[in-house]
Amino acid sequence: MSERDTHMAELREIVAEVLELEPEEVADTADFVEEYEADSLRAIEILARIEKKYKVEIPQAELNEMRSLKAVHEVVARHAGWQD
Amino acid sequence: MRLEHGELRTLLPHRYPMLLLDRVDSVEPGVSLEAVKAVTGCEPCYSGIAEGQAPDRYAYPASLLIESFGQGAAVLWLLSRGPGTTGLPMFTAARDCVLLRQVYPGDVIRHRVRLEQVVHGAAFAAGSSWVGTDQVAEFGSMMAVVRPADAIAERKR
Repeated sequence: MSERDTHMAELREIVAEVLELEPEEVADTADFVEEYEADSLRAIEILARIEKKYKVEIPQAELNEMRSLKAVHEVVARHAGWQD
Repeated sequence: MRLEHGELRTLLPHRYPMLLLDRVDSVEPGVSLEAVKAVTGCEPCYSGIAEGQAPDRYAYPASLLIESFGQGAAVLWLLSRGPGTTGLPMFTAARDCVLLRQVYPGDVIRHRVRLEQVVHGAAFAAGSSWVGTDQVAEFGSMMAVVRPADAIAERKR
């Protein structure tokens, strides 16, 4: 498994838990709000879990961008310095 | 640090019948807190119960137990904030909470609360509740967000 695959799997796990879905239900590009009825509180919860797991700080302004698993990965990679 | 009931009332906006904490026995701001809630037969949740019900009809409602723990978490968060910070915590999510045994009138619940994370105007707490040496609940993650006090409710004078 590449590093990107590992990160994606970990992030998928976090998103699925917060949105109360099975990990395989979370598609890479599905919009959290439109597809899974997420709200701003769930978004903050996802952000908080990611910050705790990877010990990284992500500005709250990035929340608007973090609307799909793929987008979340891009934002986290940028702030955590992942070379995925 | 110990907080008597009157001091809790200066911190929490909750009042009868929803102030579900009696005392804080110890608190280390930013880290942990131990709080006490005594359950009595006088609680409003027991009024209006017909005579002759099964004993478990008097089990303390899980929703109130969780709220009581959450109020402990709120006190911990409020005491952990920097001076001049305003706003009230609003309970928004509970995850991985397990109720292990029923609580009945006469039981004194002790909540052991840990503050896990404070970030982006949200706080996450975890911990457990005990009656004597019996654990009655485990709280994996309790989330609250801060909201302006005047946006929640105007306090009655």
